[in-house]
Amino acid sequence: MADDCAVTRGAGVRVALLLAAVGLPGLALAGSPDLVAEGERWWTKSPDPANPVACATCHWDPGATRGWAASFPKWKPLPPPGARVMTLFQANAEAVTRHYRLSDPRRAAATITAYLAAQGAGVPPSPGMSAGQPVFPKRLRALAASVERGRALYTRRCDACHRVGDVARTLTAYPRVVGDRVESLEEYVELHRRAPILSWNSQATADLIAYLTEELPR
Amino acid sequence: MTRRALVALFTLLSMSLALTAAGEARTAITGTVKSKAGLPLPGLALLEKGEIHNNVWDRGVLVDASGHFTIELAEGGQYGLHVYASGYIYSPQAVRVEAGKTLEVSVTLVPEPTRANDPVIKRAGFFPWEARQGKVTFVKLDVADPDDDLGPQVMAFNAAAGRVYAMEPPRKVRTLKANFPQGVYQLEIDTSQVPINPRDWHFVVADHQCNTTDILSFPHEPKSPRIIR
Repeated sequence: MADDCAVTRGAGVRVALLLAAVGLPGLALAGSPDLVAEGERWWTKSPDPANPVACATCHWDPGATRGWAASFPKWKPLPPPGARVMTLFQANAEAVTRHYRLSDPRRAAATITAYLAAQGAGVPPSPGMSAGQPVFPKRLRALAASVERGRALYTRRCDACHRVGDVARTLTAYPRVVGDRVESLEEYVELHRRAPILSWNSQATADLIAYLTEELPR
Repeated sequence: MTRRALVALFTLLSMSLALTAAGEARTAITGTVKSKAGLPLPGLALLEKGEIHNNVWDRGVLVDASGHFTIELAEGGQYGLHVYASGYIYSPQAVRVEAGKTLEVSVTLVPEPTRANDPVIKRAGFFPWEARQGKVTFVKLDVADPDDDLGPQVMAFNAAAGRVYAMEPPRKVRTLKANFPQGVYQLEIDTSQVPINPRDWHFVVADHQCNTTDILSFPHEPKSPRIIR
């Protein structure tokens, strides 16, 4: 995803798809039972016995959370200046940092992302909108602006090597297990070609994923 | 004027009034609040105008003993609805109300599993400003938080006026995401026209982790919070 891309167009994607297809040891796809089970544990149990409020304490109704994964990326109305378009992983990282007080929220956030994605299996992607929830035009405009920024970023930094349709198709392969590590798409983007401005938690990364989500085959 | 003409005039007037009333249908949010176990919960329903968590507070109401509330609105649009009941984690949700319509919501609250991390209202008081001959009254709230992550939700609600206020922190805070200080929060109320009546005032505080105090109502004597099983 960098300008100095040296691999041939689509090669990285093909390798990822091939690895996913053959299921090499140590590399599990999103939705693998281990990842989802770990995510469920984070979701239902706080790591801090002194503060037992977990995600599921308030978000206890699976019916209400089933559409969450499909609704991302979307505008997260956090107190200013935190409000912005976020991916599900970024939103989960913000939540576990605040509620669980984790110094590194990435593993918990990634596995919760896998858990929520599994909960919402079969729900068609609807970025910015959740079934049964009101639609806010201002938030949709913010998401549309994010998609446009992502499109420009992709054209500038990724398009020379990767066809957008190919990359978009790999979105659902994340988060995944690599060795003993859980890797989110956001972390993969951060490390890919050492892209320095694309830190996993940045607005630019959310923009890029918002654009790729828009390009998902429907 | 004949009796028949009078009847016709009266009928026309009545129809006109009825049409006017229909044209000015109210804009409101009405709701029910219950526990996860299905019990109706009294408390507070407070509204932010615009995007939720922007800390621009608008109107509010008391939720009655049967868990019902209705908030009349001056206009439709986007609001942040925050519902509080003593012993429960408060519930925030973004809502959109269409002008001339009533939005119905159903809120389910879950009890606080521990009260150890809840903010604490140590005391509340009303202090007329002597230099202004009582035309201004300061409402003050002394707030502590065991895990020191207070947010902007140090709330005062005047039930008689239906007005909601986020109280001013003891020192300036950089952003709404920052941890707010513990100490005395205050509110400056214009009492030049109507004197302050402490019975009208209710207070509640929630921190960044959604830990919520009990609602403190008149006579504003804090009690030890209890865990609801």
